[in-house]
Amino acid sequence: MTAPLLVVDSLTRRFGGLVAASDVSFTVAPGEIFGIIGPNGAGKTTLFNVIAGHYRPTAGRVSFEGKDISGHAADEVGRRGIARTFQAVHIFKNETVRANLHRAAVLARRHNPLTWLSRRPHATPDLEGTAAFLGLDMLLDNVAGSLAYGLQKTVGVGLAMMVGPKLMLMDEPAAGLNPSEKIAAAALIRRLRDERGISVLLVEHDMPLVMGICDRILVLNQGMPIALGTPADVKSDKSVIDAYLGEDYEFA
Amino acid sequence: MKVRAVYALILLLAALPWFIGSRYIFHIATMITIMIPLVLGMHLMVRIGQLSLAHPAFWGLGAYASALLTMRLGMPPLLSLLVGAAVPSLVALAVGPIFLRIKGVFFVLLTFAFGEIVDLIFQEWTGLFGGNSGLYGIPKFSILGLRLTQIPHYYVLGLIAAILVYLLMRAIERSDVGAILESLNEDEMLSRSMGANALAWRVAAFVVSAFAAGISGGIYAFYIGFLSPDPFGFQTIVDLIVMVTVGGAGSVLGPVLGAIVTVPLPELLRDAREYQLMIYGVCLIGFMKFAKQGLISFIVDKRRGA
Repeated sequence: MTAPLLVVDSLTRRFGGLVAASDVSFTVAPGEIFGIIGPNGAGKTTLFNVIAGHYRPTAGRVSFEGKDISGHAADEVGRRGIARTFQAVHIFKNETVRANLHRAAVLARRHNPLTWLSRRPHATPDLEGTAAFLGLDMLLDNVAGSLAYGLQKTVGVGLAMMVGPKLMLMDEPAAGLNPSEKIAAAALIRRLRDERGISVLLVEHDMPLVMGICDRILVLNQGMPIALGTPADVKSDKSVIDAYLGEDYEFA
Repeated sequence: MKVRAVYALILLLAALPWFIGSRYIFHIATMITIMIPLVLGMHLMVRIGQLSLAHPAFWGLGAYASALLTMRLGMPPLLSLLVGAAVPSLVALAVGPIFLRIKGVFFVLLTFAFGEIVDLIFQEWTGLFGGNSGLYGIPKFSILGLRLTQIPHYYVLGLIAAILVYLLMRAIERSDVGAILESLNEDEMLSRSMGANALAWRVAAFVVSAFAAGISGGIYAFYIGFLSPDPFGFQTIVDLIVMVTVGGAGSVLGPVLGAIVTVPLPELLRDAREYQLMIYGVCLIGFMKFAKQGLISFIVDKRRGA
């Protein structure tokens, strides 16, 4: 087995007396699509935010490609090769799709003013190619904020792709999408991995989507990991059914 | 093109003093050109979403530094103008990493307090700055052996500086740097997730904007030939906010228009001095109610600024 891309080791995050994530450990292998699920308040978002650099872990560590990134700021995490998408649409709404993608590439390449002094070449993903990959090539000159909601979320994925990431963190990629958009989103996540070699760590509520595309799933309940395994393992796990899925849960 | 017409109008206005030939008109025109780099510096901060009330203090630091470098160290004026402008830049570099972690009204208050402290230092450190009785005997500006003795000379100097700073700010706005600053202002969380170091970029903008204020201060010092702490206090804050609001923050041309319109106002209102602030207030309310984007919005469409 190859070395894991992301290692989360005994991660704990407390807010005052509340333990939002307690002793969570898992790894994401290169080329893996890894899902985190759990009922509301299970600590999914907290865990996500600790990895993305918005919160410091109270205890435990996160490492990426063998290097410790626990407590790194969001922009440092981004520069390491971890891009992210947001649950709500976060794009530059007043700009065209082309300008959006261009900005993402610029923000990644010129991450601080001193980068202007060093003219080191830096491979940037090809803008047109990325747009074509996402099916946005005909919409490049449209103002991003004028697109349908699902397409705006796709632009958000495009922004993350322009950073050239090895791992993409996706916060509820299917939230707010209609059924056909959800199918497209699932296909897109698979293609990110298959065609672009980007590993994916996603937090999601939509069970068919998670069960359909994830290689492995971590189930959280009240901040504690209660199961970790393949979709088949997880959905037959007694504690998962009790805590989250319910006895009547069936899979399509 | 409407923007071309505005440029032509500004050019015409810029040439006007020579047609009129009055020293008084030359003086007002010179003051306009001196205010332009300062207000453009303040505008750069507005563009990144931070209203800085420290800029009058940066202006003063530039003014005193340029004057003192020439008077005490005998530096040639052009060099002391540039080195003098670097002084507020360095101060901005020192305090920026602390100030710029703070946003919104707290940043406004912090920069206000900073400005007041700097102004107090100008007043109290009499050995260096001359205190309230002022700093006298600032030599005339000279460049390549050419001594600037007449008001029109300083007008030309101010005009050159204003144009250079304007071109610099416009280049920043149109470049990738402008896109980065705007991205950070629009959606900081998104921009940071893509790797942008928000604080570093904000500090850079602060440093550049303090440099513009410093240039403006240096020219002011050489032009007036006398410095007191008075102009670097609260009144200038009000003036700058009026300029940015009246001109419009949406484009680099906006504050320039704001300066052209606002600087002569006290002169026009000379007979109604006590009403001056009231008229400012009414203007501000009027613009914020009916023309939030300022004068520039009547000329340029909002999205593609000049």
